[in-house]
Amino acid sequence: MQDMNLTGLFIDLMGRLGLNYEFLATGYEAQIWRDGFITTLYLVAVTIPVSLIVGLIFAACLTSGRLWLSAPVRGFVELTRNTPTLVQLMFSFLVLNTVVSNMVGGAQNNPLSPFFWVVAVVGLHVAALHAEAIRGGIEAVPSSMIEAARGMGFSQFEILRYVQIPLAFRSSLPAIVNGLISLVKSTTVGNAIAVSEITYASIMVWTQRDNVVEMMIVLLAFFSLINFVVARVGSWVERRLAIPGYGL
Amino acid sequence: MTASTDAAIVKLEDVHLSFGQTQVLKGIDLTINKGDAVSIIGPSGSGKSTILRCINALVTPQSGKITVAGTRVDQLTKESERIQLRKRVGIVFQQYNLFPHLTVLDNIVLAPIKILGADKTATVKLARELLEKVRLSEKADAYPGQLSGGQQQRVAIARALAMKPELVLFDEVTSALDPETVGEVLWVIRDLIRDGMTSILVTHEMRFAEEISDTVVFTENGRIVDHGSPQQIFHSTNNPRIRQFVGGLSGGGRGAVRDGEGI
Repeated sequence: MQDMNLTGLFIDLMGRLGLNYEFLATGYEAQIWRDGFITTLYLVAVTIPVSLIVGLIFAACLTSGRLWLSAPVRGFVELTRNTPTLVQLMFSFLVLNTVVSNMVGGAQNNPLSPFFWVVAVVGLHVAALHAEAIRGGIEAVPSSMIEAARGMGFSQFEILRYVQIPLAFRSSLPAIVNGLISLVKSTTVGNAIAVSEITYASIMVWTQRDNVVEMMIVLLAFFSLINFVVARVGSWVERRLAIPGYGL
Repeated sequence: MTASTDAAIVKLEDVHLSFGQTQVLKGIDLTINKGDAVSIIGPSGSGKSTILRCINALVTPQSGKITVAGTRVDQLTKESERIQLRKRVGIVFQQYNLFPHLTVLDNIVLAPIKILGADKTATVKLARELLEKVRLSEKADAYPGQLSGGQQQRVAIARALAMKPELVLFDEVTSALDPETVGEVLWVIRDLIRDGMTSILVTHEMRFAEEISDTVVFTENGRIVDHGSPQQIFHSTNNPRIRQFVGGLSGGGRGAVRDGEGI
């Protein structure tokens, strides 16, 4: 009851400013809109770790010195860096998803949702960007330090795990944070395949209500807020990992 | 040096190695007994450091026999076998190469714990003892970037010792240091040799080599020109090239002062 009053008060107040938020008083549209926020946050929360883990694996492959690992990843990185995410998503959903559906005997058996394809496409796209940044950091580790680790009996993987990646992650962190900010924005491509994230939900509302400006204000504020948090967390991690007496 | 005995811990026989077109080692024969301190001296590019890298299986020669602590290094075919050998042979480099993102203590315990699978508590205890030995106990929680070159190099030595190696190779470990800190590193090595650690040093510190070595080896152009006691090599050699080299280096007073510098 209290909540209803608050909503009513808000709608009234905004109405006086000439902003139309009347849809908030309805059940259906308000619900879609609220779910949109949650879906976007959910997308961001799932895609960020996917991009980081895959980015690390890609970087490891690129610097492995083994052609059968580096060549396919190099190909994928080039393809994904140089083509629009929207096109990649369309291709994945309309072509790959259809192939999967045919393989499992019909769309009703296909476990892969549009949500999955957004996570996969955006996650791998940003992973390619991370991979390039981390690769640069891995290759920047002096060869004499790698030789010293080899001399102590480290295997190639152990050098990567204990020496190269900890150093590369630190040096590539600013680039990684940029990649994550771009990731947050890229989750909006989901609206192209009807994932009801916040832009999709907002479009649903404004096509009915003709309140584009009102919805835009909230959209812009929402994404600004998420990326503000991402950037702050990024610089916090950077400070936490800073090495005393070292240039990173 | 020439006789092959059971005491031999390192034995190189007619070792040839080239990088591409460049012949680096042109038939190296060298025997080192357990507990010995051997210095390898000679001009830059004579193959000194490459000899150490052969012993540690960091490079593989094209031909010749290398036996290290009972292992035929030249016959190792898999990287995993070479890794097993490297765990038993410590090596310290010119550039210290501490891991900059780890504290001094973590630098020392990383390999024993993660690579050898040693017990964590025991390793930390050993690391603190080693830090005491190299006189850096108070720096356990410092990062390498906060230490001087000499301090970093002493940590690097402690790090090598934490693996409990059967022998330690020192590759020009004082060459990157400023003159004031050379003494503190040499002091640590001298101590180690007195404790009976088999040590092979590539060095330009002639006075030091003379003082601590059981045997001095002179290399030039990929070959061992001569070897013998420090007295022989530094004072009674008939070889004019060695005389010129030794005289040219020690005559300048370099190294004379720093041996006496304690900490």
